Amino acid sequence: MSEVVLGASSRRAVRKMRSWQGSQAGLHAVIIILLLLSMFPVYEMLVVSVKNPLQYQHERWTLSFPMRFGNYPAAWEIVSTYVLNTIFVAVVGFAGMLALSILGGYVFARLRFPFREQLYFAIIALLSVPWVISFIPSFMLYHSLGLLNSRWVLILQNIASGPVFGIFLLRSFFAGIPEEIYESARIDGAGHWTLIWRITMPLSLPVIATLAVLNFISTWNSFLWPLVTISDKRLQVISVGLYLLSSEVFSASDFSIWGPLFAGYTIAAIPLALLFITLGKFYVEGLIESGLKA
Amino acid sequence: MLLSPIFILLGIFVYYPPMLGFVRAFYKWAPTREPIFVGLLNFRTYLAFPEASREFVNVVKLACCSLVTGVVAPFLMAEMIFAVRSRVGKEVYRYAVVIPMLVPGVVYTLLWRHIYDPNLGPINALLGAIGLGALQNDWLGSPTTALYAIMGVGFPWVAQIGTLICLGGLGQVSESVFDACLIDGCTGMRRVLAIDLPLIMSQVRLLTILATINALTSFNNVLVLTRGGPGYATSVPGLRMFERAFTTGEYGYASAIGLLLFVLAVILTLLINRYLRPHFEVD
Repeated sequence: MSEVVLGASSRRAVRKMRSWQGSQAGLHAVIIILLLLSMFPVYEMLVVSVKNPLQYQHERWTLSFPMRFGNYPAAWEIVSTYVLNTIFVAVVGFAGMLALSILGGYVFARLRFPFREQLYFAIIALLSVPWVISFIPSFMLYHSLGLLNSRWVLILQNIASGPVFGIFLLRSFFAGIPEEIYESARIDGAGHWTLIWRITMPLSLPVIATLAVLNFISTWNSFLWPLVTISDKRLQVISVGLYLLSSEVFSASDFSIWGPLFAGYTIAAIPLALLFITLGKFYVEGLIESGLKA
Repeated sequence: MLLSPIFILLGIFVYYPPMLGFVRAFYKWAPTREPIFVGLLNFRTYLAFPEASREFVNVVKLACCSLVTGVVAPFLMAEMIFAVRSRVGKEVYRYAVVIPMLVPGVVYTLLWRHIYDPNLGPINALLGAIGLGALQNDWLGSPTTALYAIMGVGFPWVAQIGTLICLGGLGQVSESVFDACLIDGCTGMRRVLAIDLPLIMSQVRLLTILATINALTSFNNVLVLTRGGPGYATSVPGLRMFERAFTTGEYGYASAIGLLLFVLAVILTLLINRYLRPHFEVD
């Protein structure tokens, strides 16, 4: 920021910048207070997750010692199935949807064929169809295919509907790769598969990472669809599992349940936290893209 | 052709369901029986349902509220973070905004259910501690407060994707625009409204569409917090669709509600796109 302001209004401008500087402290204070308020549920989750029943009863809002880390193994015993199911569904579903997205993105970005734009538009138009209209009929479709209450109902849904956004995201990225690279590879006799596998993929790792994070977040958060399509608890995913668990717990006034339940909530947040820590930039981009997608 | 696997899957699982939903809204439809064409009966039954009007009032209230919680709050937060001058501070705040989003959506709502709990939650505990015990309430259990409690979830509504989207938009605006504002003495709120808002109108419009469509169609929070209760105090059409399909098995009736919501969502999107036009596109 330049400190030199020329012209007739220079003194006024300098004064304004000074008061602006002073107000920076206030600005920081407001932002920090708002962020702390936003973090309260997270704080509550972490603090309660290490409490024993007595501590929960008498000292609910501050950290109390000794912390009871034993809540975590107790919670893991119950939620491990849900966690592993969700990871399985997320990984298999993502692999499938990524393969189709890359294929589609490549074809629409790199090949010329009749009706290309019309076909592309037919896919992109699906992004603006609100999900309410398809929710019930999708359920009935999987019902008539006999796929309800299996992992396929979650995986197939991701593989089939994920590429709509995947193609949209990857096509614009693939289209930006210089044609010369493809040209020279073609001269060397490379076919489509080589072009995809050897050239497009390695050059697109950042956007693929964004897509991966985005897809993982949405599978990890999925709730209504598994709630209605999966009735076998052993196949259930994490969000629904915790929801059902908390509903069982809720009627009981037994304080012993809260520590392990909140430890279960924390366990559900750990994979997302790990992704955020390791892939911070892609995580933020994935979140933003998920906003653009919805 | 390379695209055929994509279009086969899309055809079955993505194109077919909405069309089926459109058609079956006019049928009596249950899993094991042949669908029977009943014309507009499903729509008439729903609109004649005594609580239907209340459900629409609720959803309109939630949508209006979501304009504040889903558009205004993230926009102002983005402006504040953007006004921070230290680069490090800006980055730290941008990442801090993400932290509450690391909790899965349903778990986040369950945590809020605990916050509102009349006997165990911090709100009543705090009111009791500062001598305002008279204000203690069963926030989700009383018909007068339940809907407002649902709106309050996520308070102060600044740690959202919307904040990141607005920040991204502000980051794209050229530095020279702000320098020019400073020299012209256009600062503070005046700059925010006269310069920033029009410049990131496409982001604001996106947030507006997301917030209203989300308020109209999604009912996760209502389902988890109150299940529409007490009575029908917090019920919304989306929840009715869900209950009709999955507790009483009236899939045609549910599809009709789904179609109604779909049509409303499309109309709202078109209206917002028409009236929230960016004054000048920045690309």
